[in-house]
Amino acid sequence: MSIIKKIITFRPSFTVRILTGIISMLVMLSVCTYVAISDQTALNRRDTNFRARAIEVGAKVYAEQCARCHGLNGEGIEGLGPSLAAESFVGRRTLREEADGRVTYQQVMPSKRIQDIGWVGTLESYIIAVTEAGIPIRTSNVWDVNHPPFLDRHGGPLRPDQIRDVTAFIVNWSLNPLPDDQAVLPPKPGEGLAPRPTPVPLTEAQERGKQVYLQAGCMACHAIRGVGNQGAIGPSLNKIYTVAQERIASDDYKKNIKDQPPATTPEEYILQSIIYPNAYIVPQCPQGPCPAGVMPANYKDTITPEDLERLVDYLTTLR
Amino acid sequence: MAIVGEKLVKQIRTTGLRATIAQRLDDGFTRFTAGLSWNDVRGILRGDPPPKPNPRVKPHTEGFWFHIRPSFYHEAVTTLYPTFRLGFLSAVFFMFEIITGIFLMIFYTPSPTYAYQNMIDILTNVPFGKFMRDLHRLGAEAMVIVVTLHMVRTFVTGSYKKPRQFTWFTGVVLLVITLFLSFSGYLLPWDQLAFWAVTIGTSMADAVPLIGPELNLLLRGAPDIGAGGLLRFYLLHVVLLPLLGVIFVAVHYYKVVRYGISLPPEMEPVGEDNARKVPPEKRVPFLPDILTNELMYMGVAFAIMALSVVTWYKGAPLEHHADPLVTPNHTVAPWYFYWLQGLLKVPHMIPFLPTPIAVEVDKFFANVLGLTPKVFWGVIVGPLMIGILFIIPYIDPNPSRRYGDRKVMLTLGALFAAAIIYLSFAGVPTGVPITGFGYVGGDPASEVGQEFIPDEGVGPVRALPYEDYVVGTWTVSAQPSTGNTNFDRLIRAIHDSMERRKAHPDPLGKKLSADASAVVEVKQVQENLRYIAIKINYTDETGRATQFLKSTYLHALSGYTQ
Repeated sequence: MSIIKKIITFRPSFTVRILTGIISMLVMLSVCTYVAISDQTALNRRDTNFRARAIEVGAKVYAEQCARCHGLNGEGIEGLGPSLAAESFVGRRTLREEADGRVTYQQVMPSKRIQDIGWVGTLESYIIAVTEAGIPIRTSNVWDVNHPPFLDRHGGPLRPDQIRDVTAFIVNWSLNPLPDDQAVLPPKPGEGLAPRPTPVPLTEAQERGKQVYLQAGCMACHAIRGVGNQGAIGPSLNKIYTVAQERIASDDYKKNIKDQPPATTPEEYILQSIIYPNAYIVPQCPQGPCPAGVMPANYKDTITPEDLERLVDYLTTLR
Repeated sequence: MAIVGEKLVKQIRTTGLRATIAQRLDDGFTRFTAGLSWNDVRGILRGDPPPKPNPRVKPHTEGFWFHIRPSFYHEAVTTLYPTFRLGFLSAVFFMFEIITGIFLMIFYTPSPTYAYQNMIDILTNVPFGKFMRDLHRLGAEAMVIVVTLHMVRTFVTGSYKKPRQFTWFTGVVLLVITLFLSFSGYLLPWDQLAFWAVTIGTSMADAVPLIGPELNLLLRGAPDIGAGGLLRFYLLHVVLLPLLGVIFVAVHYYKVVRYGISLPPEMEPVGEDNARKVPPEKRVPFLPDILTNELMYMGVAFAIMALSVVTWYKGAPLEHHADPLVTPNHTVAPWYFYWLQGLLKVPHMIPFLPTPIAVEVDKFFANVLGLTPKVFWGVIVGPLMIGILFIIPYIDPNPSRRYGDRKVMLTLGALFAAAIIYLSFAGVPTGVPITGFGYVGGDPASEVGQEFIPDEGVGPVRALPYEDYVVGTWTVSAQPSTGNTNFDRLIRAIHDSMERRKAHPDPLGKKLSADASAVVEVKQVQENLRYIAIKINYTDETGRATQFLKSTYLHALSGYTQ
């Protein structure tokens, strides 16, 4: 009890007050001095940390937005997007730890691509410019798609900071770039335009099926190279016939299909996927397990049986 | 000019040059201190007894700063008890926040395009930037604590009673201002933590009956928080609320001086107030005793803040850039609003009723008054709890300040505090220990993911250094053998967490299925970047085999553990 009483009636003497005040001031001053001395190193260290974290964020953005056309590992996809990890695009750099603790890139080989096209800025500014605003005109006819704008102000899905981060991620490939012979490269300017592949002629019924594809809303989520809008929510249908063949042969399909008999032909499988989209959900999508219930389950009612038949007929040409 | 010169020359002739300079300097000094000569100040600093007549009361009548302060205190209020210096310290922290805040303002732009980059710049490019930011953040939390303790102390000693009812009232206004100052500052870094905490906070305004949508629009500047909302919160934080704070501190402190600091309850006859009747032998002069005392407490407070920031304090958090499209799991309000978040989780209008009856009661209220439990508890009861604080002095009929006479009021106060603490526990996702009230959790598998790779913040996976990961796909088991002991330990921790969730249901009764298994996948993405994923295969409630995947990227230099 007496200790409590001592505490609550505590009143430091004049000397104690002055001394404590002076000591507190000295403590504060020494903390400030300590911060002043150690701050530059700490700033540099945090600078390195935040740059590294930007690359982590950029990797996520890349997987969600860019990998679809440029490949999960930046290797490029023939007909959709050129390689971003290729040595001729990112060049080659090494990391060097400076004396002050910062970690910086040292360029060993510059980007050939930006030299070829005559870009006067840095590689980073080129990537930012293309990602933000897109490439509005067709520079070659190798690719069926132009680069779309990704910045939110230009109608794209990304904020400026996300584009900066994804740029940091792409440039980071320069530490260990993909050899050009393993990458999908765009033609150089001056090499002329590559010939476009001749399209396979469609029958009248298939042509009608293509119209169904364009009008029934499929392309809002799916993509067929060179046909209408390139939707990004559902899987691409470029080789749907081949995919269907693989599916019906797989054990997972036979085991996990629900409420419907397993399809035996690719045509049946494609039809089943349109009218009963939840009967079978593919286990693994590029970004993790595929979710069920995304595709509307009412096409059985909104598309006539004849049109469905023509649509399937058209889709089987995509091999 | 000539006349002044003549006087000066005359003085130099009679007293000599040195004495004249000394006397002129002392004159200036006396004007600066509003009445104290150098010798007087020296005497004060040496602890000498005051000379007669006492020059030390002069600044209290002549100068602005000292006229705000009383020239003496009652001896009984200069000990640690009854004030604990909490009111003074509240003012000190308010000043502390203004100083550190102005520093931060220099490097900040209230725009969604720049705000987050500004924060990174403050941390990576501004000398003393992180130090000041941490001081500002820690100071804000300390201020909330000190202000609240100040209120608790005033309640316990009964100092809100006549004639200090209005002082208490303005004090509660200041408490509310403090909370809103802290809350409005929360949005400014424009990270996920800020964005979602403030989205939750302002969505409560949206639920206010009748004027909700308008109030929400006024706060956010748009249906959702964006550029307009950020600018509004910035202006609230740096202009309106500090201005209101200064005004109410002025009124509050005027009342404190006007009625004096209340004496310890046991020293006063019941119903009387003797704070201003101080017998001469009980007077403690402001100069030097109170001033040195206050400077000491202020110095100690500042030193503790500075020391804390460079030692144990982890630093003000900065999470990912605000993203309106991605809601992180387990978003919480700032800790001093946990109790409000807890209130929002009360499931029915009248708790503790059997569920079927409670549901019927809810239906009745929803049909007749249009009230849902969320609106009732969060938007009506929550603010009413603050409202009760305002009127305490006006409804407490007991004139006595003595503890023994105030058993009812002190018990009610303790119950109120207990309720706040209980609700605060309910406000966090883990809920109240034992009762489980307030627990929020998804599927057990997703909770494992959240435990090891939280959406925001570090978590065990990011805390393990890059070098410790071994590329490959590793089955989660009690005896992993990846070749790295730290990585093995992490995998064992995931295994333990899964086993725990298999054996014990969470407060909502959900268990991880017994057949659940998991792998940790480590892939090399770039030379210094790895992809780490936890994949859990389990059977969900509908009996379907499901996979849960949670992943992150880890860079060799991201330094989460530093």
